[in-house]
Amino acid sequence: MPDTDGAAKGVGSVKRQLQVAIILAIVGGVLTTAAFLMAFTTARVQTFGTIDAPAAVETTYPPAPAAMQPTDGTGVRYQRPWLSQKIFYFHVPIAEASFLVFTLAAIFAVLFLVKRKQSYDTRSRIGMETTLVFTIGTMITGVMWTRASWLTNWSQLGREMLSEPRLATYTIMLVFVIAYFVLRNSVEDPERRAVYSAVFTIIAWIDAPISFFITRMVPSNHPIVFQSGMDTTNLIPFIIAQIGMLMLGYAIYALRVAEESSRDTLTVLKEQLEG
Amino acid sequence: MGNLIDPTNTELYALVLKDAPYVIVAYAVLWVALVAYVTVILRRMLKLNREIEVLSEVVDSKAQAGE
Repeated sequence: MPDTDGAAKGVGSVKRQLQVAIILAIVGGVLTTAAFLMAFTTARVQTFGTIDAPAAVETTYPPAPAAMQPTDGTGVRYQRPWLSQKIFYFHVPIAEASFLVFTLAAIFAVLFLVKRKQSYDTRSRIGMETTLVFTIGTMITGVMWTRASWLTNWSQLGREMLSEPRLATYTIMLVFVIAYFVLRNSVEDPERRAVYSAVFTIIAWIDAPISFFITRMVPSNHPIVFQSGMDTTNLIPFIIAQIGMLMLGYAIYALRVAEESSRDTLTVLKEQLEG
Repeated sequence: MGNLIDPTNTELYALVLKDAPYVIVAYAVLWVALVAYVTVILRRMLKLNREIEVLSEVVDSKAQAGE
């Protein structure tokens, strides 16, 4: 008689995983949306550089402090509103989420090498897949920041990505994650593929703390968020975005794990029918 | 029509709005990518769950017939 208990347990477990993932995705989505709205409404407008106007303007936007006004008395100097700073509210959280899922992938890679359970290899692979999504998200928002705030031309972007320490180490991380999937697809034997992938994940992960701490160790143009301090109106949406994005990161990872578990359950059921 | 907006205000707005395309692209790409990815996973999950339900019923009925 076919053992239907295993498949039934699998279905129950997948349903629980799916429920947790959907709840986290909804809460993460609500929090990131709230952070987005706060970033453009309640958060104080940051300034970057100045603009000289020929005369005072009827605006609620205040002129620069007296010490910054032109000394020759011509015109009025305003601090330039820094709209591209708004990218920061999502760029930093999505980068943190990429580090979180990359760390999960590395933990499961270590567990696979120790216990040799196939499910750990699957979880590590899903972690790398989620890392790829979040790393690409970080790179896109980062490029937009670089263009708008650092005024880097498209032609200079490649050089900046190789010479600026944070950008270079993060680009290396993206290359490692892509290389992981190239490696996986090039090894046919499942056991060897899982071992090579686990070892590669652990070696590649070493770049994550290097990328995180490098701006604190060597001179870099990249802002160091946790050292520079922040106005409360800016800090609240930033923290909400961080919590929301970390939840979304884990939710996406958990959704993929639930999907793979469903696929395994389906395979078990097919084997039972064929057997 | 003349100048509806003070020229200096126009200059101020232009300097701010110069950044706008980058901000819009950054947020739009992120949201579209994340929503699309979650939607694809959920659709695949729904399809898998339907298949699991059908196969579970077949396995159960085969098990009952074998008893």
